[in-house]
Amino acid sequence: MSTHSKPWVKAEQKLGFRAARVPIALGAAGTLCAIAQAAAAARLLAGVLHLASGGAALAAAGAGFVAAALARAYLALLAERQNFELGAAARRRLRGQVLAALLGLGPAGLRGRHSGELAATAIDRVEAMDGFHARWVPATALAVIGPGLIGLVALHTDWRAGLVLIVAGLFVPFAMAVAGIGAALAARRQFLAMTRLQVRFLDRIRGISTIVLAGRAREEAASLREAADELRVRTMRVLRVAFLSSTALDLAAAAAMILIVVRFLGVVRGDEALAPIALFMLLLVPEFFAPLRAFSAVYADRMAVEAVADEFAALPTLPPPAKPAEIRSVAAHGVLLSFDHVSYGWDEARPVFDQLSFRVGKGEILLLTGASGAGKSTIMDLILGFVEPQAGKITVNGASLEALVPAARAKMIGWIGQKPVIFAGTIEENIRFGNPAASDTELADAVRWAHLQELVNNLPKGLQTQVGEGGFGLSGGQAQRIAIARAFLKNAPLLLLDEPTAHLDPATERDVLESLRHLALGRTVVLATHSSMAMDFAKTIGARRVDLDALRYTSWRE
Amino acid sequence: MMNPILRIFSLWTRFWGWLMAAVLLSLAALLANVTLSLYSGRFLALGLLGMMLAVPALLPLVGTARVVLRYFERVVGHEAIFRALANLRVWMFEGLAASAAGGLGFRRAGDALSRLVNDVDTLDGLFLRLMVPLLGALVLVPVVAAVLWREQPAALIVLLALVVIGFYLPVLTARAAGENAAKAGLAMSGLRTSVLDMLHGLREVKIFEAEGRMLAVIQAREAALLSAQRELTHKGSALNAYGFLLAQAGVLAAIMLGFTGAKVPAVAAVLVLGVAFEAVLGLPRAGLLYGQAKAAAARVVQAAESAPLVSEPVSPAPMPSRNAIAFEHVAFRYAPDRPYVFEELSLQVAQGTRVAILGPSGAGKSTIAALLLKLHAPEQGQVRLGGTDIAQLPTEAVRHRIAYLGQTTHLFADTIRHNLLIGDPAADDAALWAALEAAQVADVVRALPEGLDAWLGEGGATLSGGQGRRLALARTLLMNAPILLLDEPCAGLDSATEQEFFRVLNAATEGRTVLLILHRLTGAEQLDRIWRLTAGTLVAAAG
Repeated sequence: MSTHSKPWVKAEQKLGFRAARVPIALGAAGTLCAIAQAAAAARLLAGVLHLASGGAALAAAGAGFVAAALARAYLALLAERQNFELGAAARRRLRGQVLAALLGLGPAGLRGRHSGELAATAIDRVEAMDGFHARWVPATALAVIGPGLIGLVALHTDWRAGLVLIVAGLFVPFAMAVAGIGAALAARRQFLAMTRLQVRFLDRIRGISTIVLAGRAREEAASLREAADELRVRTMRVLRVAFLSSTALDLAAAAAMILIVVRFLGVVRGDEALAPIALFMLLLVPEFFAPLRAFSAVYADRMAVEAVADEFAALPTLPPPAKPAEIRSVAAHGVLLSFDHVSYGWDEARPVFDQLSFRVGKGEILLLTGASGAGKSTIMDLILGFVEPQAGKITVNGASLEALVPAARAKMIGWIGQKPVIFAGTIEENIRFGNPAASDTELADAVRWAHLQELVNNLPKGLQTQVGEGGFGLSGGQAQRIAIARAFLKNAPLLLLDEPTAHLDPATERDVLESLRHLALGRTVVLATHSSMAMDFAKTIGARRVDLDALRYTSWRE
Repeated sequence: MMNPILRIFSLWTRFWGWLMAAVLLSLAALLANVTLSLYSGRFLALGLLGMMLAVPALLPLVGTARVVLRYFERVVGHEAIFRALANLRVWMFEGLAASAAGGLGFRRAGDALSRLVNDVDTLDGLFLRLMVPLLGALVLVPVVAAVLWREQPAALIVLLALVVIGFYLPVLTARAAGENAAKAGLAMSGLRTSVLDMLHGLREVKIFEAEGRMLAVIQAREAALLSAQRELTHKGSALNAYGFLLAQAGVLAAIMLGFTGAKVPAVAAVLVLGVAFEAVLGLPRAGLLYGQAKAAAARVVQAAESAPLVSEPVSPAPMPSRNAIAFEHVAFRYAPDRPYVFEELSLQVAQGTRVAILGPSGAGKSTIAALLLKLHAPEQGQVRLGGTDIAQLPTEAVRHRIAYLGQTTHLFADTIRHNLLIGDPAADDAALWAALEAAQVADVVRALPEGLDAWLGEGGATLSGGQGRRLALARTLLMNAPILLLDEPCAGLDSATEQEFFRVLNAATEGRTVLLILHRLTGAEQLDRIWRLTAGTLVAAAG
């Protein structure tokens, strides 16, 4: 855990304790029942020794024992279920936050991050927080409340024995601190080292085919074994000290027991009043230490937080969405897009383009060309609103793009990229992704215009065929046609085509371009490409061209 | 099939010394505890009756022994389990490397593999939380029976409760967990798929305003996962409550029996039973672990021990001296119910020539690589290396001849140096820099403050996609193999870098056999032959 994740852990802790009031109260009630049960058992045992009188009182103690046991069982059951709900609620909340942050950052903000890694934060790291909220938080509170309650009752009943208990109880954290501060620090580092080994193992397993095909399986297995052995030796060095704190707990419990026996041994001598008290005190000893044991058992849950805190703390907190200065909609038919002296760079040292200006009129087509890295995708991201221009202005029908509410902007724009993402689901669901409210006729038209009819007819389940993860594998051209069908269905007046044929072979490229010709009719289109066939296609439908290489060349020369 | 949990335990025979020591220490600590409560019960009762005035020396002695034994039980138990787990990991790695999973990773299956790693982690509680307490309970029952027989025979009836808690309730929880594991596992993979879908398709999600729809799907999957877990928690908590009540009933019964028998032994019997119940009360919970661990162990054992898709030749032929490649009338499909990728594919690559195979995505270009690397075997026909059918050659020797760069080549979360050394562990710094120069990525590495020792994030996350590809290429160039098999080596490179790359490649691979798999040509490749792959056959193109 680094320093910047500390406030995050603190905040989680605060939230955790606030949410855990009910299960903590249930636990405290359980402790009270345990006290009552110990009192009843003490009276019964005294009765066995003929040191307590009264058949009626004994019957009452028996009934009390049964009632207290039933109540404890029920309270423990409730607490366990409540604890689960604590963990579930915390996971739901954290997952919601992570997903909101990822959605808020958008594709430009997550540029260069591994989606598997991000998914691990949204899934595995969120799951790893379960133990903290469901177990550590209640156990920590009860490690104070439980012994506290029992200590008070003991003090009240017999102050000498009570004092013994309380001193023994305070000895536990004291001994843990003396024997364990160094060890705890080292243990924390050790826990991180262990986590790193797990990550390393995971990484090697994921890349196993790279290792196998390079013929290095034996070497890597040996180095994994070595790393694990080294970690074991170092970990055990720490654990040998760390376990001393558990031993301190055992020792304190044993000492308390013996001291209480000593306190009563000489004085009871068959005293009917004192004997049940002596037994009560002895029966309280294990109950007194039980919450402390439970607390040291959830140590790993607390440590697990350290391993994931950095990733959570690094997620951006989203600013509340700024209200656009002027909210206005743009006419649904026909869009005029213009860039007015727009500049953008991913960082200051590397401007992508400077003072770029162009206009695309209603129903016109603009062809963007240039080497990869020249800024074609950046222009798309600017229009889509994933990034903001550093200077200059982008307008749509005369209105500044920033002034549009995001939903209005999204409604206006259709987009097809290099490699469309096919979601796990049916082909129909994937097409309807473009517009869930579309009618069946509109869907059928989109399928026809995107030249998907042939594919769909050849599949036994037609539009209901499962695609995406675990489904039918679509070729690049087929996936691109689904993207075109999506765009048809969305029917937006401004169409952005970002290298739509980059990964296709010439025959498929020709087909896809044919479908695009139909899609482009009547829309304002920006087409970025470096395929010569796509450029020729753009020329045949009367596109104007902006060559970003030439622009850059000129701006460098100046 | 053998019970997978037993299979896991059978792997640990090497550590039996450690494991047995841990078990014995744990039993000794438990017995010390029983002795302690037996004697303290007796002395306590005598003391309360005024028949004993001092604590006998035996008591602190047994108490100290118990504390010390528990300490060593923890130390030895952890030592044993660390050894066993390290062994399990390496075993799984070696098993996967030798089995089909090498091919699994060839197609993008990282998530399936990560799930397997989670399964291994699930197994780590098997020994300390299940095996040790279970053996303890097995020993405890006769010991407690003997003690009760001596102190108060009637209390033997209470043993029934002990047996139910220690052996019957765990079976019930294990069964519940086993039934639940499939449901929870399905819900979990559904959740993972939907989150990955959202992240992969973030651009589409934003553009088509699908944020709400995607979140709704994810929340529904999450709710399914939580409800599966909730169901198990409810069952488990109910069984725990039964266990607790049984234990309390047992103690109460012992007390009641005390009214009928000798007083001092009755108190001792109650305290002994208290300890015995405490020792078994954790077992129903361990039953949950067993249910989950069994499912996990089954997956791990199956993955690590599945036979490779291509079996090793029984009596391998000697490795040929030449490195020409030939595909002869090869027919192949991934499964009998899938369409043929090729029905009759033939291809000749003479030693030292440079050949490109062009074709659209999905045409089977990468399948050619998989066949050559012996990840799959042809259904009919042969693949020859230097004139010998590779089916007759040892797989590892064939792969040593081929430096392969695939589309899903993995960059490890390690230093740049270590990533490169996978190509050639013996390479010195000069060789590493030469490879980096050849792959056009030396400038990038030089610009990093730690140079070769710079740490790459998971999946090469600190580099851009193009830089990562070039680093992987440098690693491939380091492998001193006579054949280079490059599957889309320039994906993610811009066209100027791409052209420069081919110029360097032409120089760096002088004399080697080069097989390039591409979806389009840049013009900079100097090729001896170009084949175009369409509809499962190779057609010679210009070149």
